[in-house]
Amino acid sequence: MKTILAFILLLPLAGACFQALFGRSVTRRTAEAAACTAVAGSFAFALAASLAAWQQSFTLSFFNWIAVDNFRVAADVFFDPLSAIMAVMVTFVSTLIHIYSVGYMREDADYSRYFCYLNLFVFSMLVITLSDNLVFLFVGWEGVGFCSYALIGFWYADEVRAAAGRKAFILTRIGDVAFGVAIGLFFVRFDNTAISFINAHATELTTGAATVFGFLLLWSAVGKSAQLPLVVWLPDAMAGPTPVSALIHAATMVTAGVYLVMRLFPVVMLSPAAMTAIAAVGIVTAIYAALSALGQKDLKRVLAYSTISQLGYMFLAVGAGDIIGSMSYLLSHAFFKSLLFLCAGCILQGLHEQGDIFKMGGLRKHMPAVFWLFLAGALSLGAIPPTGGFLNKDRLLVSLFVNPDPMFRFFWGAGLVATFLTGLYTFRLFFTVFAGVEGEAVRDVRPVPPIMVHTLWLLAVLALVAGYFNLSPEWGGGEWLARYLAPVQGAVVNVDAGTEIGWRIAAGDGLLAVLAFLTAYVLYGPAKLSSSERLVRFSDGLRGLLISGFYLDALYQVSIVRPYRFLAKVLWSQVDERGLDQGIAESGRAVAGIGQGIRSWTTGRLSTYLGMLFLGFAVLACGLAFSYYVGF
Amino acid sequence: MIASFGEVLILSTLVFMLGAVCAASRRNLIMILVGVEIMLNAAGIALVGASLRWNVLDGQVFVIFIMAFAAAEVSIGLALIVYSHKRTGSVNADNYSSLKG
Repeated sequence: MKTILAFILLLPLAGACFQALFGRSVTRRTAEAAACTAVAGSFAFALAASLAAWQQSFTLSFFNWIAVDNFRVAADVFFDPLSAIMAVMVTFVSTLIHIYSVGYMREDADYSRYFCYLNLFVFSMLVITLSDNLVFLFVGWEGVGFCSYALIGFWYADEVRAAAGRKAFILTRIGDVAFGVAIGLFFVRFDNTAISFINAHATELTTGAATVFGFLLLWSAVGKSAQLPLVVWLPDAMAGPTPVSALIHAATMVTAGVYLVMRLFPVVMLSPAAMTAIAAVGIVTAIYAALSALGQKDLKRVLAYSTISQLGYMFLAVGAGDIIGSMSYLLSHAFFKSLLFLCAGCILQGLHEQGDIFKMGGLRKHMPAVFWLFLAGALSLGAIPPTGGFLNKDRLLVSLFVNPDPMFRFFWGAGLVATFLTGLYTFRLFFTVFAGVEGEAVRDVRPVPPIMVHTLWLLAVLALVAGYFNLSPEWGGGEWLARYLAPVQGAVVNVDAGTEIGWRIAAGDGLLAVLAFLTAYVLYGPAKLSSSERLVRFSDGLRGLLISGFYLDALYQVSIVRPYRFLAKVLWSQVDERGLDQGIAESGRAVAGIGQGIRSWTTGRLSTYLGMLFLGFAVLACGLAFSYYVGF
Repeated sequence: MIASFGEVLILSTLVFMLGAVCAASRRNLIMILVGVEIMLNAAGIALVGASLRWNVLDGQVFVIFIMAFAAAEVSIGLALIVYSHKRTGSVNADNYSSLKG
């Protein structure tokens, strides 16, 4: 078991090292094959390990990293069903993205740097997934932060893209501060930073302490998972290569936040205030991002806002206490969102990187395979029954409905609204891109390599059927996922609202999703509508508000970035240059002046020295005489 | 003894002061050396006086040592002055100012 777990972690790391050291000296094919093999191997080991983790968990130690007094940091792995599912998902999606990247990056000369970061990204995410020790986990946590920065700004020669990378890095750091504080407090409270230990002793915490931890963990997760108020980095993260977007959105980056909260769920669970706050952040973000997505013109930005919105759902489920619902939604989201992004990559390469969806249209004829793949993803994202996305979202909404807290009934209602909005923007995107009259961008479609298209069929199937892993018994399913995850502390296997109510809820959100589909069809579907007319319909009063994501960027610009720049300028020109630098220069000059003064004493004249010598003796003699006669 | 020990000490002090002023105020190296000799002898006077005052011969022994030491010092000092004069063409102490800061 130890060897298997070590291989899960070490293969991507070895792959990254290989790319960094030899990536440029081997042929392109070898480098690509090495990168894919590393992640695929990791997937195989993760799969094997997850079979062994049925109904049990392993805590294994690889080596001691820091040991000072009773502060001990070890590279420990805590492999329970939750991390098993996560590791399998991460490595599987990453493997497909690696293979896809071979096609996507075929014209880029910098492939070895790309694959190096990609492998490192997967490694860091696996550290987060598997680590038992919070400090070791923090290494992975910062690792994904760094890799996302490096990959978003991968084409660093472009100022805008490099700035997007920096933005992602800085905003996620704001969240990491809270994580650092949380680790410190965990050590103070438990004398231990191991997740398994903390979870086992979580009940010793008072509600107040649990609330503090809950809010700190929420804050750190908010930064990583791009929830309000730290959402603004994710839409800009589109600047990187498209497979990287898929990786960030589906597998390696944004899920880390919600995963952390699930991992430490026994602590969070103890505080009703923190749980409500998590759910509130989730639902507000879900609706906010869904509305913003409705206004976007750029293909990838629509998908980015939809990721933010769907992550809001995951937080909502965690807040409602249903980590299995959250995890299964995370799984199906990983499949359909990576599928949609990878389709977007095909479309963008085919249309010469023209991302404006209102210049597209009628793409179905030119890219039939991508059309079907995208449809599978869109059906799942729009939660149209009976896709996997629908089933998992239904479970999530039921767990909101059955929560005894009346607040959660309200969250459930808001969740339904968000479901409708999700369907609306998803199919708005789908119809404007694929249906209708051909737009100007579609005149000259470049063929994309088959490897980029045919890798995606597997994802499409999984996106459609992912919900059936967790089908509840009343629908004739086995709830395999829930039963697999049952040993996880705090997991609720069955959220039963009663068959009657369960059916009604399912019918309700299913109908809403279909209604959203039909609305989008009426608004954006008609084949005769030309793209320019659609643009007019699109440009109503709300457009500015929605396209800018409720001016959140502008708000941060005015309230934080500008004051910060101003402060930086004052500190630099007034405090540093005028105050500190000049102060140091002045004191240096003063010391030099004293030196000059003392220097003039050394005249070089023998008689002066002798005179001084006698004077000194005279003073000494006087002192002696005085002490002799007065007597000290 | 005709002169008292106090008077001897006063004489010694006066002579010492003369030597010190000579050493400190003159610019000529030879005169500075002369000043140093005078100071040494002033110390010798004080020692002889003290030796008589307490009837112990140690003071006189010291004076003999000082005389031998002074002879040696003068021979080395003069040799240095001769060498310096050869090197710089002057015996003025103010010309030797390479230690000036």
